[in-house]
Amino acid sequence: MQANDVKMSWEEVIEDTRDFLSEEFEVDRNMILPENSLKDTLDLDSLDYVDLVVLIEENLNIKITGEDFKEIVTFGDFYKLVRQKLNL
Amino acid sequence: MTVAKDAINQYIPHRAPFVMIDNLVSASQERFETDFYITADNLLVADGFFQESGLLENIAQTCAASFGYLDQQAGGAPKIGFIGAITKVEIHELPPVHSTIKTVVTPLHQLGNISLVQGESFLEGRILLGCEMKIVVTE
Repeated sequence: MQANDVKMSWEEVIEDTRDFLSEEFEVDRNMILPENSLKDTLDLDSLDYVDLVVLIEENLNIKITGEDFKEIVTFGDFYKLVRQKLNL
Repeated sequence: MTVAKDAINQYIPHRAPFVMIDNLVSASQERFETDFYITADNLLVADGFFQESGLLENIAQTCAASFGYLDQQAGGAPKIGFIGAITKVEIHELPPVHSTIKTVVTPLHQLGNISLVQGESFLEGRILLGCEMKIVVTE
């Protein structure tokens, strides 16, 4: 199920996002908290951001650009952007 | 033909004997295609077959030539790119010398100066190798 195909609750979107990020980047999902750094927690280098964009598009059916990432430091920032894009 | 063999080095930084594409058959934002005749003295031929490394380099040079061509069409100069990562490699068959392979690259995503592409090479319609490649283009 993708967020834009069937309306999911915001809580479901967050939990799904934590699941696919923890699986793809092999991190403890309990580390994926709003106050934690997206880059440091997922140990992202510049190439990994491309994987992240693909993952977001596949799982949430939304497009994230390089410009969008300039505003993102924490998972909280990331969730805020996702929420805007999903109109939730 | 978009760019013929004798003009291809205007679009890629590689020089003989390390040029692994011949003609840029077509290039659009959605699809790139090249062909390449494999000579017996090619550096990446072993035991009469063009090796996996050659097929991967061929895909990378297909990207380089196509990005360079599209840059020029847009009024800019070709930029230098390099391979950032190669994933999802599937090798089906290696082409023998004296054969001509066709390579098709599909851009999947772009984030800043990094492009994620899917590359596939073919011989007489049969797939030889497929992969995804991240190409980093210098600013």
